[in-house]
Amino acid sequence: MITKLFMLGCNDRKGVFLALLIVTLFFAGGLPKLEIDTGVDSLIPANDPGRLIYQRVAGEFGTDNKTIIYIKDSQLWTPAKLGRLQKLHEDLEQIPNVSRVDSLYSLHTIDGKDGKVDTKPVLRDAPQTDEEAQIAKQNAMANPLYQGNFFSDDGSVTAMIVAVENTNDEKNFSRTMFDAMESLLSEHRSGFEHMTQVGSPRINAELKKSLYEDFVLLGPLSGLILVLAILFFMRSGLSAFIPLATSTLTIVWTFGMLGWTGIPLNILSAMLPSLIIVIGSTEDTHLMSAFFRGLSTAEKEPRKEAIEYMASHIGLPLMLTVLTTSLGFASNMFSDIGLIQHFAIASTFAMLANGIITILVVPLILSIFGPNQARQLDSDETRSSIPDRVIKSFRYSQDRFPGAILIGTTLLCLFFIYQASTLYVTNDPLSYFPSDRPLIQDTKRIHEDLAGIKIFFITLETKTKNSFHDPKNIEKLKQIQDFMKKQGVFDRSISLADHLAFVNREFRGDFAELSLPKTRQLVAQYLMFFHRSDLDSYVSHDYSRANIVVRHNVSDSHTLNSYIEELEDTVKHIIGPEMKAHIIGENLMVNSAAENLMVAQIKALAILLTLIFIIMSAMFTSFKGGLIALVPAIIPIALMFGIMGLLDISLNPGTAMVAVIAIGIAVDGTIHLLARYNELCRRTSNYKEAVYIAVQEEATPLIVSSLALSLGFGVLLFSNFTVVAQFGALAAATMLFSIFANLLVTPIIMSKVRLVGLYQILAMNIDKTVLDGTPLFNNMTNYQRRKAILISELNEFSAGDLLVEQDTTGRDMFLILSGQAEVIRRDDGEARTLATLNPGAVFGEIGYIREAERTADVRATTDISALRFDYQKMQNDLKFFPNIVAKLNFNISYILGERLADMVENSKK
Amino acid sequence: MKLFFHIPLFLVTAISSLAYAESSMELNGREIMEEVYNRHQQYPYVYEEQSMVMSDRNGKRDTRKAHRYSRVEEDGTAKFMLVFDFPHEIRGVAVLATRDPLGVMTKSIYLPAFAEQLIESKGESSDGNFLGTDFSVENIIGEKLSDYQYTRRQNRTIRNMQYFTIDVHGLNEDVNLTKPLRRHFVRQDNFFISQTEHYDSHGRVHKRQSHHDIRAVDGDMWRSGMILIEDIKEQHQSLLKVTRRLFSHDYVPAEIFTAEWLYQNHPYIPPEDMDDETEAEEEVVMSVNNEEQLSQLDDEVMVQP
Repeated sequence: MITKLFMLGCNDRKGVFLALLIVTLFFAGGLPKLEIDTGVDSLIPANDPGRLIYQRVAGEFGTDNKTIIYIKDSQLWTPAKLGRLQKLHEDLEQIPNVSRVDSLYSLHTIDGKDGKVDTKPVLRDAPQTDEEAQIAKQNAMANPLYQGNFFSDDGSVTAMIVAVENTNDEKNFSRTMFDAMESLLSEHRSGFEHMTQVGSPRINAELKKSLYEDFVLLGPLSGLILVLAILFFMRSGLSAFIPLATSTLTIVWTFGMLGWTGIPLNILSAMLPSLIIVIGSTEDTHLMSAFFRGLSTAEKEPRKEAIEYMASHIGLPLMLTVLTTSLGFASNMFSDIGLIQHFAIASTFAMLANGIITILVVPLILSIFGPNQARQLDSDETRSSIPDRVIKSFRYSQDRFPGAILIGTTLLCLFFIYQASTLYVTNDPLSYFPSDRPLIQDTKRIHEDLAGIKIFFITLETKTKNSFHDPKNIEKLKQIQDFMKKQGVFDRSISLADHLAFVNREFRGDFAELSLPKTRQLVAQYLMFFHRSDLDSYVSHDYSRANIVVRHNVSDSHTLNSYIEELEDTVKHIIGPEMKAHIIGENLMVNSAAENLMVAQIKALAILLTLIFIIMSAMFTSFKGGLIALVPAIIPIALMFGIMGLLDISLNPGTAMVAVIAIGIAVDGTIHLLARYNELCRRTSNYKEAVYIAVQEEATPLIVSSLALSLGFGVLLFSNFTVVAQFGALAAATMLFSIFANLLVTPIIMSKVRLVGLYQILAMNIDKTVLDGTPLFNNMTNYQRRKAILISELNEFSAGDLLVEQDTTGRDMFLILSGQAEVIRRDDGEARTLATLNPGAVFGEIGYIREAERTADVRATTDISALRFDYQKMQNDLKFFPNIVAKLNFNISYILGERLADMVENSKK
Repeated sequence: MKLFFHIPLFLVTAISSLAYAESSMELNGREIMEEVYNRHQQYPYVYEEQSMVMSDRNGKRDTRKAHRYSRVEEDGTAKFMLVFDFPHEIRGVAVLATRDPLGVMTKSIYLPAFAEQLIESKGESSDGNFLGTDFSVENIIGEKLSDYQYTRRQNRTIRNMQYFTIDVHGLNEDVNLTKPLRRHFVRQDNFFISQTEHYDSHGRVHKRQSHHDIRAVDGDMWRSGMILIEDIKEQHQSLLKVTRRLFSHDYVPAEIFTAEWLYQNHPYIPPEDMDDETEAEEEVVMSVNNEEQLSQLDDEVMVQP
């Protein structure tokens, strides 16, 4: 059936071409509908319980989504500079969709001096003299509420905070706002030493810009590297063209699907074209290798026969590898993070689509453009090839130190697993950018001079109006803030308590310290000095809820989450049972989602490994087969996690996916290797030799594909995003590790085991009458017979060959499948034909039971196909199938019994 | 006979009115403002009971009640005091302002929960709002004419009502080159300022004050029953409703405008003597439905910027 599927492209070229064309055009129609999502929302699990609370809190106290305009100048407090700032403030207010600009020109302060108190703007208009400017500076710097928010400690930095609203629900709102503000800043920038904007519009705009750049760069670069690698290793232009063709179609289908389904592109999607090109090419490489091998044995219709050969030898492994690779990507759907889920859907579809396209397109192209003759490989070329050198070096070690290799590998894995215990998770969008990126530098600058740009809220809720007129409750706000100061990781916090302490200080006069009012009446009277809008972010209208606004710059999710946890415990203790507290913020939800990464990763890994184990066990009808298939999957993953731990690489949305994707790909090589080994085991009783040959034959495509994958993933190092670059680097390293696992470690384990493929059992084509007629398989089911047969060896003999020689010892038993043989007894130089053996006949059973000299020759009178059963091998390989062993032994006993009875009968005559 | 007498009388009255109207057309800005001042702002004793509703950008409202006392002495000294009465936590909070004959304004604030102390507040222009409202003292007691230049602009007709338009500039400003500080819209029939628009340095309206429920209270003197101030930039507004107004010397004795009166009537209570139990809030019994008033005001908004 698999062969028929492959031959479709060859036998019905027009039909397949038309079908592909229609489907491709359909998907292409989805391309214009593609959307991009760089929003923070996709980093927060949809079912995060904090979401609703955050929306409520943000709705009441204002969003944390604001842009900071950072202005630094050593001469800031001069009439000229302050005049420019005023102009900038006014110009910012004119930008459409800007709802509010807060700067020193909109701030109010309270000034208490010499027994007088005044509420006034920090600066109404630009001062005309230096003296006025210095007074303005004193006013501004005297207010502790503004230090760290609007002014640096030394006064050389000021900030303007711009709130924007997407009132028309514009699609490219971030970009529009960023461009509008940037255009304005570029006009004013020359007037100051440093001026920059940081906020959601810029972050989103940079994410999108970087995403476009990645798309434009990475895909074509991957294609180029692929072509060069294939040309280098395979010296075939067609071998380079075919993966490009299948990848192009896959990319169109995948992105078209995304367009039709409304699944947006995100920063992880940027690596899809590279992944498709690189991963898709590996199977194409295997197919081309098989095609060339098939050409060497083709006679009448070279292309068609070669395609048939390709289909029969590679068809099943290809489908298995498509399945395992797709499973690897699909397992990422367990993540709660939308970013990863969307990528999982897109990548899984891409892998499946690539499989379908490969099955249809490759035969189609080869049937038209494929060569008609096999290439003659120069023997020198073979000897000097990289794969050969690798195998030789591995073989030397395998022959001499197999045990040491296994123990060494185990210890190495344990060491790296131990290193992996230091892994930490992070999900901060700013960490997606390299640290030398201007955006990150600007963020750091703001953190150092003012306060971090990341904000979260601590909201305290009571059920009573005017609860936060009560000094006891205001004191709780202060205690929480004091605790945060002790924690030392958060830059700044502001609450109603700070406002009241400030007013109290100004009323008490010079040199008074900041302290809170003692009575609710005084609290209420102090609050009269604030406009409602001054307190919007800090207390609800009815004073039943208060909000502490916290600014920080912590990007390490693990650190942040642990401090937040500590804070939560303390807050609970401080507020007591009468109040409820929520510590909430967009960046907190994003960072807490990081913890989900770890859990989802473990879940995905466990499920994938289980699935691979089940599939492989079923394929080779043996749990041993399943376990063997896991070895080359687990080793690279252990090494990869260990390296992450050693190099302090965090587990983030990019690196979190490496393990499952790498397993899905690495196991492909194992499948090819095991399949070939299994095939060879049927032709030789020497398992070691079967391993050698399997490795020899599969090494080239395995190493070529692993190297190509490694190079292809390495292309991702050029990504604008650290998460993508880290994914690329780790995936590349994992591919290289898989060479080591597949070619050094797995062959050692393989040589101890004989596998029987399920498909082979199902596909075995032996004359049923022979099976039904032979006494060896009496009372055995078809499955049991096939299993027993596949454990044996198929030997071919020409007419006149001696299958068994008299007076020699051997533990082999034979079952004739086709042809004829004679049993000849030699006594004193005379030869007597004792019997003629036909298909279904069994001989050599005495030697099978106990080691003894053969009693006669068995010579082929025609060409014979016979199954050879080695006693030791049968007992080893069937020990997990005692039922089959019992029946075989019984049947052999029966045959022997019949033989004895015949002898007795004959002797009487 | 009577008709013979009435017709000339009618003619004389009509001609006088026309003459008067004609003469008022010839008034310049300052003259108009002086007429405004003389008619409406000089009554020596005014006592008002007021309700204030402050509405923020989200539409949330705060309500206060206060007593207002204003007095103009013979030498031209104007005194003004606002004492808050509700909510109970701010009862006794007072703003006391005095403008001497030379126009120098001093303002003080009394917080009975803070100390037995009148704290001087530095004076600001009419943009200097007090105690979290959108009102400044000048908004309530009027501006000192000698501090400004007044330029009459083109008259306006709005809803069949004729208005003088007066631009206000600082004394040293060039009225043709600089933007005005504010613009008054003065009703031509009664010289009452119905609306004032305050401008920022770019000539944009950032605050608007409008008077409503305008009635004649005594002769040529008119007063409004409601004043609305809208802060257009910050998107909040304050509505002041006069629930009771008395022009009586007995309600506004001179000793009211002293610290002693405040200390006596709204004494400072030290924290240690304060009752810790939460007092029940009094229900606001508003004689006016604020929602209704605000929606009515929409109809009465006179001039769109």
